[in-house]
Amino acid sequence: MPSALLDIFDPKAAPRPIGIDLGTTHSLVASVRDGRPETIADCDQEVLLPSVVSYTDHGVIVGRAAQSRAVEHPRDTIVSVKRFMGRGADDPETRRLGPYEFAPARAKEPNVVRFVVRGGREVTPVEVSAEVLRTLKRAAEDELRIVGGAVITVPAYFDDAQRQATKDAGRLAGLEVLRLINEPTAAALAYGLDKKQNGHFAVYDLGGGTFDITILLLDNGVFQVKSTGGDSALGGDDMDRAIAEIVLRDLGYETGAAHVPTDPSFLRLLLDTSREIKHALTIALEAEVVLPDVHGRERSVVVTRERFEGAIKILLDRTGVACRRALKDAGLKPEALDGVILVGGSTRVPYVVSYVKGLFKRDPLADIDPDQVVALGAAVQADLLAGEGPRDEVLLLDVLPLSLGIEVGAGVVDKILPRNLTIPTGARATYTTQEDKQTGFVIHVVQGERELATDCRSLAHFTLKGIPPMPAGMAKLEVTFQVDADGLLSVHAKELVTGIEQTVAVKPSYGLDDETVEKMLMDALDYGEEDLLTRRIAENRLEAHRIVTATEKAVTSDAELLEPGEKEAIGQSMMELAEAARGNDPGRMHHLIEELDRVSKPFATRRMNRAIARAIEGRKVDDVERRVG
Amino acid sequence: MDPFQTLGVPQRYDLDLGALEKTHRELSRALHPDRHMGAETGKREALSRAVEVNLAWRILRDPVKRAEALFSLHGVPVGETNEPKSSPAFLMEVLEEREALDDAKQARDLARVHAMARAIEERAQAVQDSLAEAFSAANGDRDRLASHIGKLGELRYFKRFLEEVSAIEDTLAEEI
Repeated sequence: MPSALLDIFDPKAAPRPIGIDLGTTHSLVASVRDGRPETIADCDQEVLLPSVVSYTDHGVIVGRAAQSRAVEHPRDTIVSVKRFMGRGADDPETRRLGPYEFAPARAKEPNVVRFVVRGGREVTPVEVSAEVLRTLKRAAEDELRIVGGAVITVPAYFDDAQRQATKDAGRLAGLEVLRLINEPTAAALAYGLDKKQNGHFAVYDLGGGTFDITILLLDNGVFQVKSTGGDSALGGDDMDRAIAEIVLRDLGYETGAAHVPTDPSFLRLLLDTSREIKHALTIALEAEVVLPDVHGRERSVVVTRERFEGAIKILLDRTGVACRRALKDAGLKPEALDGVILVGGSTRVPYVVSYVKGLFKRDPLADIDPDQVVALGAAVQADLLAGEGPRDEVLLLDVLPLSLGIEVGAGVVDKILPRNLTIPTGARATYTTQEDKQTGFVIHVVQGERELATDCRSLAHFTLKGIPPMPAGMAKLEVTFQVDADGLLSVHAKELVTGIEQTVAVKPSYGLDDETVEKMLMDALDYGEEDLLTRRIAENRLEAHRIVTATEKAVTSDAELLEPGEKEAIGQSMMELAEAARGNDPGRMHHLIEELDRVSKPFATRRMNRAIARAIEGRKVDDVERRVG
Repeated sequence: MDPFQTLGVPQRYDLDLGALEKTHRELSRALHPDRHMGAETGKREALSRAVEVNLAWRILRDPVKRAEALFSLHGVPVGETNEPKSSPAFLMEVLEEREALDDAKQARDLARVHAMARAIEERAQAVQDSLAEAFSAANGDRDRLASHIGKLGELRYFKRFLEEVSAIEDTLAEEI
């Protein structure tokens, strides 16, 4: 769009939005260039960054170099940190895994574990993930010069604590997180399903260590998760182990755990070789390797595709069980699906493709690299959100994955927001005091489908205090839940009757409050030479750019809603903001952003009212047409 | 608040819930912050409208809450303390059905639980049909409506019964 206002911003220095797949085993970053999403390689021309972070005496190492330290420094090297996001030290998931040492749990932080690494340093999963994100950001900066906002993907079943932790990690890495979106939704976006068709889609995601199945309903840009399922301990690593067993047998070892050789370097070699065999069998019908046998003599081993498939059938049958359950939960037969999407490197195995085909009775979509498809979709969404793409045609509406509620009498949960509502969303409920002269309400926010609070995930506890003593049942507490477009919750509570209104905003914190994040940002390497001012200037400039772009677009497309003189006033305000954005005064930029907001508010309200009227009206026209037709 | 007005549908009991769900979705789309330019105030306003829309949707899609809303809008007070007590015969029947459900639960007899649920669903549907007819026949007349308030209590009972069934299903499914 040619625009005098937008020309003020140097197009070459325009911030470029990015999409990030923050994965359990590996992560990657992509951006839309010339209308097409593309992944961004690092300086070694590698696209996939292993999600491994190693803490050493000389600093932090991320990626392949960190991975190679895992065997020697298991405690200092955090792998699969995604499994720990938003989870407490007592969480069964946390207890199950890995060689890590954890710091004692802190009372106020039920949803945070702390790894004790090199030199007794304590790090949270948020900080570890931020290291991965920072590495990706640097690769993106090398390629794009200035990185704009980021869209980060999360599994569809992630709860509020896990989403909040992911967003905090993004902020900590110095990213402006535009949005969190669900991984299967991102995969569907990468295939362009949002504009092509409506219907039910299955996203079959078999990664290195996890399997997820999601049934999505696409309806004119709404992506509703109908059901999810999976197995958090099933993936490509298990296929490698299955091959390793075949190889061991051929090398003369007896079967069974007791006879597995214990030499760690031999085991490493064995597993690496097994992985190479798996990769080779994607194209070849057999693969040959030479390894020392049980007597130490070199021996050649041949693994055919047939033997490999026989060994992994039992693994795939486990995915089949999860898929059938997900279909049943969604109330669908396989024939009713409109498409199946493959995600995750393990879906490159030809047998997986044919297995999925048999399961869903159709050829799965697999023409986009299954390792990259999620990041590519995230880049598409980032591009849309930054106002670069054809935004009016596509609107992504994810849904709330799990119900949100508060604990009422006897530990029972009152669900305030049921699952599957499109987000952003909100709801209100009123409660009253149980006892005479009760001067405070304790509010316990939980997430989950179960009836008792103890069976749900605890998100936050807070107390509304200072209510004047009244007889039981007199005070009226109004609790408002709001879930933003990232699926993140904030809770407000106020007491209505006394006229003393109180509002308490609760933003569940996962070990890091805003101040801590700010301080960590300052300490972080990226900002070593910068000061807070530079960062504020950059942030406000981005915000100014976004708002001027959006306002410009709105004024052009809905010109008929402008009242006399309004266009000039808004135009003047935009001009001043654009001018200020060229300078270095963040306070002035912030002030003018608010000013533009104020000047354009009546216009914005008119646009909203018309959008509402059209939404309702559109329905009626539809109904009439259906009756007539 | 009038939830019917918020979602732009006429004040009647027999609503096309499928069409209403689409309207709700279209409104969610219209109120999405990505659709609204500007900074925080616009987004806040959109979100508070979204709260109203969701509240209305939750009321209208629930047969009990929808009936309560319609009675209230026509000046008939609702809520268990405002409504006349159910007949002893109905309460007795209620008690017996609850006991039968409890027996089926103890016996882990999921088939019997399901059969009872189906019977209750049918009765709930019959009450809903008669409520729809009553609302339409009363034509907004408060006194004529007030004579049907007893149906609300029955509907609430059926709802609680079905909630109990779903809790039993969850418990029995976990044991397997």
